[in-house]
Amino acid sequence: MMWQAARALVGRDLQLVWARRGDAFQPALFALLTVVLFALALGGDAESLAPVASAVLWLAVLLAGLLSLDSLFRGDAEDGSLEQWMLAPVPLWWLVLVRTLMHWATTALPVILAAPLLGELLHLPRAQLPVLMASLLLGTPILSLLGAVVAALTVGMRRAGVLVALLALPLYVPVLVFGAGAVAASAQGLDAVGALLLLGAGLVLSLALAPLVAAAALRIAHN
Amino acid sequence: MNSSAKNRLVRWFHQLGSPPTFDRFAARWTPWAYLLGLLTMGIGLYGALFQVPADYQQGDSFRILYIHVPSAWMSMAVFALMAFYAAIALIWRIKLCEILAMACAPSGAAFTLITLATGSIWGKPMWGTWWDWDPRLTTELILLFLYLGVMGLYAAIDDRRNAARAAGLLAIVGVALLPVIRWSVVWWNSLHQGQTIRLLGESSMDASMIAPLWWMVVGTHLWFVGSLLARARADNLRREAGKDWVGKLAGHESLEQAR
Amino acid sequence: MSYRDYVIAAYAVFAAIMLWDYLAPKLQLRAALHAVRQRAARSANRVRATNTELER
Repeated sequence: MMWQAARALVGRDLQLVWARRGDAFQPALFALLTVVLFALALGGDAESLAPVASAVLWLAVLLAGLLSLDSLFRGDAEDGSLEQWMLAPVPLWWLVLVRTLMHWATTALPVILAAPLLGELLHLPRAQLPVLMASLLLGTPILSLLGAVVAALTVGMRRAGVLVALLALPLYVPVLVFGAGAVAASAQGLDAVGALLLLGAGLVLSLALAPLVAAAALRIAHN
Repeated sequence: MNSSAKNRLVRWFHQLGSPPTFDRFAARWTPWAYLLGLLTMGIGLYGALFQVPADYQQGDSFRILYIHVPSAWMSMAVFALMAFYAAIALIWRIKLCEILAMACAPSGAAFTLITLATGSIWGKPMWGTWWDWDPRLTTELILLFLYLGVMGLYAAIDDRRNAARAAGLLAIVGVALLPVIRWSVVWWNSLHQGQTIRLLGESSMDASMIAPLWWMVVGTHLWFVGSLLARARADNLRREAGKDWVGKLAGHESLEQAR
Repeated sequence: MSYRDYVIAAYAVFAAIMLWDYLAPKLQLRAALHAVRQRAARSANRVRATNTELER
């Protein structure tokens, strides 16, 4: 039953993304713009950019994810699908989990795939790239899951805007610290495995808990 | 406690949940809480300023500890209390606990602001800069954002009950993540700034220097109770604005002011 | 600046914020009661304006 619902939701989401394929590139485009702006602000030469490249990339990915949070539940809230979700025979947290992972796959994954290219623009030292990719792969799903909680809390509001950023940023801090910190640690010659393991543990916890909290938030908003 | 005393206590709690009863309770006890808080803080501040000798390392700036530390403790304690009230409100749907949870936020944010400002002012003669990304101050800054987020979310949703419950859920998430945030910032600090630990009054304190600190701790708690009751009373009245008892109260109050 | 100026600055910040913490709920309370009185006055006016029979 739950797998059927998941398959149906995944299929529907993929169809929706395909129908508006141009939109899928927007987060990646925003990340590129952020990188360009940083490079312009810092001077563009390798000595200024290389030390901060991994941090800037992490920020670009994080901010792009923040902007795309709006599309997580809004479409379904507006056309009434959310109410169908709450009446479905499947647990609400399951639908939230599937939706969030699909959202990650369609908004964050393109940005992660673009990361090596963006790294080149910032003169990212090649040695840091594997740790950076690992930290992004582990960290961005956590950002999506925590973001789902915030999106669920604000789903009823029409002009949530900066409030979403204000709510999400304190929750994002540990992910950013361990994610960018893992790369910084490896750059200093220290072992990044500890930070990456912590991210992994965080991912497991978020997978278990965030959908439940987001489901509770959705029920509050739709009361 | 025998069963009839326990029954009376339980009944008193239930009655307190009724809006007019809570209004009377808050109106009666707020001035006392503020007064006692002011008195105890006065004693503590007097001791901090005039009785405690100057620290041989930090001079008089050490006296800032007597505001900074109690405010820091309050900023965390109030957040925990807010999450506690929010949890009760969400599980048992008790309206009074929703109101109390939301009333905690502005005062908690005030204490957090005091902690940040006094920490910065104390840091200038100590470190030479107005700000340092020291783990404690960084965590306090993020705590301030969490408070502002709760207040912002409560203000942004029209329905008061849903707003309180959404903001309450955020407070619970915040209190669960706060240890993680603190831990991550400590790790980050050690990674980027080496193992130097910033001492902000960690030096062992002589017994004679501790007394004003405890007066301040008690005083800020009492003051907070007054603040909590005052804000809860105002929110309670706003929510019940259409009811008869509020109308009578407003009429009675205007008669009192006319006298 | 001597240490004393920093202490004064810190204590002043403390006093100012605590003062705000005291005043804000007081003002909220006054505004809430004021709004209630105004609404009562408006509805009383409305009743008087439409109720010509009972006018004294």
